[in-house]
Amino acid sequence: MQIGLYALRRLLLLVPQLLLISIVTFILIRMLPGDPARLQLGPLAPKAGVEELRRQLKLDQPIPIQYIAYLERLIHGDFGHSWVNQSNVSSDLALRVPATLELIGYGLLVVLLVHIPLAIITAARGGGIVTRLLKRLTFGYGLLAGALPDFWLGLLLIFIFFVRLHWTPGPEGRLGVAVTPPTHITGFYTIDALLTGNFNAFRSAAAHLVLPVVTLSFVYGAPIYKMARSTMTAALRSDYTTYAEGLGLPRWRVLWYAWRNASPPVVVMFGVISGYLLGGAVLIETVFDLNGIGQYAVQAITTSDYAPIQAFVLVAAVFTVLVYLVVDLIHYGIDPRVRRTRKA
Amino acid sequence: MREIDIAEARPRSRTAGLAAAARLVRGARLSPLEVVALVIFAVILFLALFGPRIAPYPTETANPLLRLLAPSRAHLLGTDVNGMDIWSRLLAAPRTDVFIAVVATGLSVLVGAPLGVIAGYFEGNRRRLSSLVGEGIMRLLDVIQAFPVFIFAMVLVAIRGANVVNIVAAVAFVNMPVFLRLVRGEVLQLRDQPFAEAARVVGNSDLQIGFKHLLPNALPPLVVQISVTVGFAILLTAGLSFVGAGIAPPTPELGNMISEGAKFMITGQWWPSLFPGIALGIIVFTFGVVGETVGRLLQPGGRAARERGGDLNVGAQQAVADMVQEKRGVS
Repeated sequence: MQIGLYALRRLLLLVPQLLLISIVTFILIRMLPGDPARLQLGPLAPKAGVEELRRQLKLDQPIPIQYIAYLERLIHGDFGHSWVNQSNVSSDLALRVPATLELIGYGLLVVLLVHIPLAIITAARGGGIVTRLLKRLTFGYGLLAGALPDFWLGLLLIFIFFVRLHWTPGPEGRLGVAVTPPTHITGFYTIDALLTGNFNAFRSAAAHLVLPVVTLSFVYGAPIYKMARSTMTAALRSDYTTYAEGLGLPRWRVLWYAWRNASPPVVVMFGVISGYLLGGAVLIETVFDLNGIGQYAVQAITTSDYAPIQAFVLVAAVFTVLVYLVVDLIHYGIDPRVRRTRKA
Repeated sequence: MREIDIAEARPRSRTAGLAAAARLVRGARLSPLEVVALVIFAVILFLALFGPRIAPYPTETANPLLRLLAPSRAHLLGTDVNGMDIWSRLLAAPRTDVFIAVVATGLSVLVGAPLGVIAGYFEGNRRRLSSLVGEGIMRLLDVIQAFPVFIFAMVLVAIRGANVVNIVAAVAFVNMPVFLRLVRGEVLQLRDQPFAEAARVVGNSDLQIGFKHLLPNALPPLVVQISVTVGFAILLTAGLSFVGAGIAPPTPELGNMISEGAKFMITGQWWPSLFPGIALGIIVFTFGVVGETVGRLLQPGGRAARERGGDLNVGAQQAVADMVQEKRGVS
């Protein structure tokens, strides 16, 4: 109940935030060099034709009117028209957003299933030979991973696992050349392929995701891992842990108490990283040619293609703000102190 | 007589200097890793200053005859697609990357930290206007931070054109919120400390308290963050160059070196991309470790806190002592 009210208030705050975001984007985009009408028609087109197109695109109107026209179209779900690809931006997004979300989703899943347990194990005192070895390895990992450029690591993995070992497919996109995409249901190729029973497509999609997902989780899991390890170490050194151990509680239970206290900063870090990745995954997308939304935006920027950039920034901002909302809600659920201060 | 004295004093002072340095290093309790990082740090700074001069081959002149040669004795790390020596370019490249990242981060701090002091100090202030200023800064920040960092930087660079000045500006702008938030958070905690109240009691103005007494106490986490951000800024600069929105070839820059070699990685020529990537990793890593070391040493009592069994807030005590001194001088 309380959490519902809190969520509602945050959602209401979203509206002015998004309006402001759209205004800032709009102004920024209009400052990009190049006359879009001229860009579309080419340098040899007659002047009259360019003028006509400017009128059609409302580029001859003052900026506020351009903005209001843009907002009106937005409300009707019209993200505009890409004049480089000659395509509808909404349908482009429908194809490309799932590609990026698939990459980020699996990447963060790996972080959740591998990095977090590792952090908990390596934060604990003592342990056998395996644990000590893990500690050594992960110490090096924590130092190194944050410093490696993701695009370079992707290239390196391609060289090792595709060029030399032939274990994985090359950087040719989301599917093999001869594989037809599964029927569009969610846009996530792996899920769609499973839903339609298209195992050939599933194998291909999964194989093409392995290296990008490993790259992403290796590089962007590092700050999450480090945060989890340090908060967990602090929690395990606390008085309540000593007390719990003194009571003779089972080991997993002690770890669970400590983890609950250690997790809020980790949740925040998760949120920050996933918010960053929607645009930040662009380098991984480029290296593996995944045709994600970041790659789409980069192409649009280099060709002065206004509509896709605007759409991308808006989608990314909405996504980021929603992620932060979810993070705050989880935080609210885990940490009773937050509840107390938010009420006051 | 005097001359002899000087002659004698010179070697003595030199050894004394060495001894002092040794004491400092011992006192700092550097771990082997930190020592290594500091040495590499010195090398990076040296390369940033003199790198292009000590490069054995020209760093920006193409030579089609030497295209994509594998590492050999003549070309230690091989040559790239334009026939340029990769080792030479690697020596010259840190200048570009480190310069952009350091200047950009400096700008971020110069803008972000003062705004952070104001936002933190005035948040929830009794005076309506001051409180509004603090609140306004934070809400504006929310909007800026909702933008995806990488794309935002790209758009900024695209607006003004890809040259060093604009890249520095873009990188500085996207990193500024980090410092603003950090300093604000520190100031929010520090402003309720007894020394801040004491500063108010003796008649400091709000801004004086914020900048003279609170900001210096926020220094240790700030230094750590600066080094992390310099590392991130280097990766960002290289990333921008990688997608073609940063420093363009033939200027030696690690990102565009990796980018130029990228397609050859798939055809089996690994050296043009591999070495610049390793260099990037080492640089970012070194900045991170050095920042953490300096942050630890700056922490009041960070050198000796361990055996005293707790960190006495020396900085805070110093601030109170300063104020008392000041007050005496005034009255």
